[in-house]
Amino acid sequence: MARFPLEGPEQLFHFTQAATPPKPPRAHRGAEPGEKLLITGIAGGKGRLIARRVADFFQIAGVDRVPWQGAPHNVRLHVVDLRKRKFEDVFRTERPDALVHLAFVRHFRSDPEVRHEVNVLGTKKVLEYAIAQGVKRIVVVSSSYVYGALPDNPYYVDEDYPLNVSRTYPEVRDLAEVDQLVTAFLWRHPEVATTILRPVNTLGYYTHSTIGHYLKQRYVPTIMGFNPMVQFIHEEDVAEAVALALQTGAHGVFNVAGPGAVPLKVAIRETGGTAVSLPESFARTAIGQLFRLGLYPTPPGAINFLKYPCTIDGGRFARETGFSPLFSLEDTFASVRH
Amino acid sequence: MLEAVTSLPFAAAESLSTTAGGFLPDAIGQLRHEIDERMLRIPTRLNAYGYDPWGFHVDTTRRSTLVTSLLYRYWFRVETHGIDRLPPGRALLISNHAGQIALDAAMISLACFLEGEPPRIIRGMGEYWLPTVPWVNIIMVRTGSVVGTRKNCIDLLENEEAVIAFPEGIRGMNKLIWERYQLQEFGQGFMRLALETHTPIVPIAVVGSEEQAPGIANLRPLARLLRMPAFPVTLTWPWFGPLGMVPLPVKYHIYFGEPLQFEGNPSDEDEVIAEKVEQVKGRIATMLAEGLARRRSLFW
Repeated sequence: MARFPLEGPEQLFHFTQAATPPKPPRAHRGAEPGEKLLITGIAGGKGRLIARRVADFFQIAGVDRVPWQGAPHNVRLHVVDLRKRKFEDVFRTERPDALVHLAFVRHFRSDPEVRHEVNVLGTKKVLEYAIAQGVKRIVVVSSSYVYGALPDNPYYVDEDYPLNVSRTYPEVRDLAEVDQLVTAFLWRHPEVATTILRPVNTLGYYTHSTIGHYLKQRYVPTIMGFNPMVQFIHEEDVAEAVALALQTGAHGVFNVAGPGAVPLKVAIRETGGTAVSLPESFARTAIGQLFRLGLYPTPPGAINFLKYPCTIDGGRFARETGFSPLFSLEDTFASVRH
Repeated sequence: MLEAVTSLPFAAAESLSTTAGGFLPDAIGQLRHEIDERMLRIPTRLNAYGYDPWGFHVDTTRRSTLVTSLLYRYWFRVETHGIDRLPPGRALLISNHAGQIALDAAMISLACFLEGEPPRIIRGMGEYWLPTVPWVNIIMVRTGSVVGTRKNCIDLLENEEAVIAFPEGIRGMNKLIWERYQLQEFGQGFMRLALETHTPIVPIAVVGSEEQAPGIANLRPLARLLRMPAFPVTLTWPWFGPLGMVPLPVKYHIYFGEPLQFEGNPSDEDEVIAEKVEQVKGRIATMLAEGLARRRSLFW
């Protein structure tokens, strides 16, 4: 067996050495103009913004459970539920080159079964169909929540940090699972340029995010004695990040940080609300009861996000794609002010 | 006789209030001006809302600094030597640690803020349980400290901040009075971080802090029971209740040493790192010995 010159200390297991040096990983190129792009969940706020942002560059097709009234004329729409068999036909007829996967249930109005079916099983299907149809690039928009809000979190968590959210917030474990599912796919299929984006709290006119609804309340509950730093990003900047990921072919997992962080209560003040501090034990019981009755949008696990930081380091994405948020914190807060 | 004894506290309070009326408010006003002026010149970058990326907030710190500056100026009457050795940009401040309460950290930070040019905010590395304590977590973060994770320390140093660390940790803080100025075992984490981020290490010797609360015992089983890191018994604590926590008005001398720049592989074996750690420890021990030799008295 041919021996390769070794650098550094002698290796222990010579017999495991490969006969040929491993091929360097395929360099991923960005998208070419005119490629076909399929957006799942196109009728949601982010979907619409992304479709508008890249409409000049791609031929866009979209799929969603609900129709998009007033969609641009050059966007072909399929109204299909991703849990149905017909969903596969969309891939067969469109044969997309690129895919943006946004079809997730992030609210708690539907029951956990549906969330799991759409988020985890749905993502699995989407990835299978993408491989079958020869999709060359995939962007999945996850979120920074997957790291979880924990007291010993460093400020500026990087992409290698474990996805801890289900430790204190088991209701959203499906979103962490989706993220891990796509990460596994990313390593198994190096020929596909796969990008996982984990943007911070997204605010804006079109986006219906949990944090957006939280901040739009007149009286906003907070936890007495806690005021963590929170990062925000404008929805248009998330669309911009997706466009950059497609156009550069960035392969990997990336945090997407916005213009900066402020304490939670500053964010509440700047969006026009009034913070109401509640003792934690009371808040947990009250929110738990109200959530069970369907009167409060999030389960008590979300309280950790009002106590501890879940702030991320967006450096890797900025270096890879040159991304820099266009909207300042003031602009971002103004977009949800009531 | 009895009358004389009972009237004594009142007389003392009265004389104190007249002295205070004479000079304290004026001194506080001046101190406030000084702090405001210095706060404008700190190199820490802030966003539009006055926060830095780690939650440091100028207005909160300005208020807390006013209180601790009174301790610095009038209680411990700190004398700082060699503050000009604090390099601009990133620095890792390494000091001896003692005194049951971490007032030495506060006094070193204040020395850098009140006497440094430009004034610097010193970033502390807090214990992992601190973020779970209501209000304490807010004060800790707003005044510039963070949870002491590796990533936080690296990020701060790469942002050209000055970070303070006490490699003796709790071993130093709770040592007993007859162990004063004997440096305990140093941890190695700070050296690996310095090597990784190419940060100069500024050795610091604090003389005075080790006598501020003379520990005579550390009740470890009781500490474990109360889930506290230590349960010190001093000359005054817990005998006098919360009042017993007030430190003696010893005189502080803070000596800043020449920055030490180390190079090497941050993941070297323990022995290699330990050698470098010993150099820092040796430097601090020398500075402590010199400082002690120069000291005239415990209290002035």
